[in-house]
Amino acid sequence: MTNTHAIDIRNLTLVYNGREVLRDLSLFLEKGRFLGIVGPNGGGKTSLLKVILGLARPSYGSVHIFGTAPSQLVRSGKIFGYLPQRNEGEQNFPLRAIDVVMMGLYGRIGLFRWPGKKDLMEARKCLEMMGISDLEKAPFETLSGGQQQRVSIARALAGSPAILVLDEPSTGIDSVGQEDFYHLLKGLQKRLGLTVVMVSHDVGSVTSYVDEIACLNKSLHFHGNPLGVFDEDVLAKLYGKSVDLLMHSGGGVCDKCERLRR
Amino acid sequence: MIELLQEGFVQRAIVSGIVISIVCGLVSVFVVLRGMSFIGAGISHAAFGGVAIGFITGINPMITAMIYCLAVAVGIDTVGRRSRVSADTAIGVFFASSMALGIVLIGISRRYNTDLFGYLFGSILAISKTEVWIAVIIMAVVVAFVLLFMKELFISAYNEELAKVQGLPVNVLNMLFLTALSVAVVVSIRVVGIVLVSALLVIPGATARLLANNPFSMVAVSCVSGVFSTLLGLVLSLEFDLPPGGTIVLTATVMFFLVFAGKRVREW
Repeated sequence: MTNTHAIDIRNLTLVYNGREVLRDLSLFLEKGRFLGIVGPNGGGKTSLLKVILGLARPSYGSVHIFGTAPSQLVRSGKIFGYLPQRNEGEQNFPLRAIDVVMMGLYGRIGLFRWPGKKDLMEARKCLEMMGISDLEKAPFETLSGGQQQRVSIARALAGSPAILVLDEPSTGIDSVGQEDFYHLLKGLQKRLGLTVVMVSHDVGSVTSYVDEIACLNKSLHFHGNPLGVFDEDVLAKLYGKSVDLLMHSGGGVCDKCERLRR
Repeated sequence: MIELLQEGFVQRAIVSGIVISIVCGLVSVFVVLRGMSFIGAGISHAAFGGVAIGFITGINPMITAMIYCLAVAVGIDTVGRRSRVSADTAIGVFFASSMALGIVLIGISRRYNTDLFGYLFGSILAISKTEVWIAVIIMAVVVAFVLLFMKELFISAYNEELAKVQGLPVNVLNMLFLTALSVAVVVSIRVVGIVLVSALLVIPGATARLLANNPFSMVAVSCVSGVFSTLLGLVLSLEFDLPPGGTIVLTATVMFFLVFAGKRVREW
């Protein structure tokens, strides 16, 4: 393969616990692009991420990440930065922000080795990138939702990944904070040349920040320019008839992002 | 008290008390972080079935208990992950059935003797030299395991998928952890008994959770608080002629509540 896509999925079907979660899905994403995946709950968004990450095996079809199967890639542990959905159980851990970020380096550090000074500097750099250096020693459980998500993104970035995979990263962030948060992600994508795959249920605001959007309800109903998602047919297929859609800042692409785009 | 310390059986009790407190203190951190306190109770009670198998076959009950506990630990883990039944329910199934197996086997073997009583409630003052050495070797292995894989144990307790995406061997680590847990249960049986082992697997970790602000210090606090309460409990039981197993566990419990209250007062 000469023209290798960052993500290359062909005719993927995923059957999980006897239920078909994804059906005949094909998706290509070039390196350095920001893909938003939207769709209703239970539409298979998280499952698709798990297949991409190599955490779930496709029942049919093929998945390649930079030309290699995810199950082989995952052993190297150096391709993905992953932000799982927020999980309340994790709040029960005694962790400072810096400890959370360090966790993102464990794969790089490798077995039988303790984190050293170099790793600590690396983790600090990631906190700085997210604009939260001052929170280094703060207990994770005392941070606000938005601060926690920033710390978690810093963790995902810590392993210097090629692809950033985010599952509902804006959960727990108020609507004002969300705009800042998406800008930050967009900035990171451009600055670090990252390929970003982000799942969100929030069609309205996501469309203004991503390069491409995929609408997923078991199979793909649309993939392309984010503005296309506002087509009524597409929305009707995704969410059923007569959807009330909250358009983000007038429905267009937000200015700051338009500037970042070119 | 001072004369007592010169007695061989007291010295052996002190050494084995320190040793099992370190083993349980280490394992306890991950039992608490993984939210599996009940699995500790399940496995330790399952040990009763394992001990009974030893009685009936004539093999050393500690060895049969060890193998049986590991099998139950793996059984609970597998049923909890691979079926519609939750881990909590799987523990309930294995726990009760192992106790039942123990009762039936002991009925068949007709060995209602002091041995059995020792396994149920501990007999720290009757520990032999060989048993102390075995405990010391087991401690060395568990300490080495936790020190070598500490960061991997933390991240897989925190979020397994996060660990897998980083290429860490989560499944192997889980198996090793369940083995360490079973080993901890079996070495502790001689000290506090089957009925009370689960306390040593939960309370030190819980106390450490209250005091520590990061996972590495949690390990240290858990071990120190475990050793401290075991030694204090042992001294109290000798001084006031109380059953050692129960006194050790109650001392640890009092310590937990003192820390809990202390934190409350400071926050207030």
